[in-house]
Amino acid sequence: MTIVIPEVDLGKCNGCGDCVELCPAGIVAVVNGKATIVRPEDCDYCTDCETFCSSGAIKCPFEIILVKDEGS
Amino acid sequence: MTSSDNFLKSLPYFAALNSEQIERLKKDIVELSFPRGELLFLEGEPCRGLYVVKSGQIRIFKSSPEGREQVLLIAGPGDSFNDVPVFDGGPNPASGSALKPATVYLIPKEKLLSLLADCPTGLNIIRQFARRLRQMTALVEDLSFRNVVSRLAKTLLDLAVVEGGPSPVRRLTQDEMAAMIGTVRDVVGRALRTLEKKGAIKMEGQRIIITDPKILRQLI
Ligand code: SF4
Ligand code: SF4
Repeated sequence: MTIVIPEVDLGKCNGCGDCVELCPAGIVAVVNGKATIVRPEDCDYCTDCETFCSSGAIKCPFEIILVKDEGS
Repeated sequence: MTSSDNFLKSLPYFAALNSEQIERLKKDIVELSFPRGELLFLEGEPCRGLYVVKSGQIRIFKSSPEGREQVLLIAGPGDSFNDVPVFDGGPNPASGSALKPATVYLIPKEKLLSLLADCPTGLNIIRQFARRLRQMTALVEDLSFRNVVSRLAKTLLDLAVVEGGPSPVRRLTQDEMAAMIGTVRDVVGRALRTLEKKGAIKMEGQRIIITDPKILRQLI
């Protein structure tokens, strides 16, 4: 399965590092002044980075999926 | 009259007191100052009394079991809060902390109740009203949350598609879901967890999988 990680909008990210502090998995770093998910495989998609980024630069979209074999 | 006398008399609770009564009340009032961010009291703890903001701002909030906070009220100068537990005898219904450096007056519960000592019937009536108010507040919170859960259930059903099917899978952030159903993302987070506990959906990484659409339909 492909790993999906939060999307960082590089235009909006100001490199403040709040998400680095707040990510419970400790997998975000500021690289060249922009937030980067450095260990994507450890992201549990808790969405804390999206909640706390005051620039609105991180997004955690969800896919809404219906299981196939539903009777109706 | 001093400025603090005038301040007290300007509060609806004390408008009918005469100067002598205000003087006596003042002896028992505690003035407390809090730096930004400091807690005044916690939800669920026994109530110390009624608070009135002299200066600054106080944030009144509730914490969810997951540790998220929901702000109920921002109280500024002249605003009072924590009156329900003073009169119904129950615990603090919410927590309070200083949003900006603040000075508040704490009017101890016993002192406030003593103002009504010569009218026990009046006190009983107020106690009943306070109890009702606490129940009604809990009911409103519960109903509005159920409403959100129901709207979210409908939105998920409307948007969900079968993976690999002809229509593209929709991708939405919790903020976008909140905007669609008229709430805020914290509440969407709680509602999603509620739906997961009910067995209607499964959260798997970035996927919200509708495992039992029947449950969602029942909630609408
Ligand atoms: S919190 Fe937002 S603005 Fe700050 S570094 Fe992270 S993504 Fe960039
Ligand atoms: S979703 Fe959670 S685990 Fe993943 S990067 Fe953001 S804060 Fe870290």
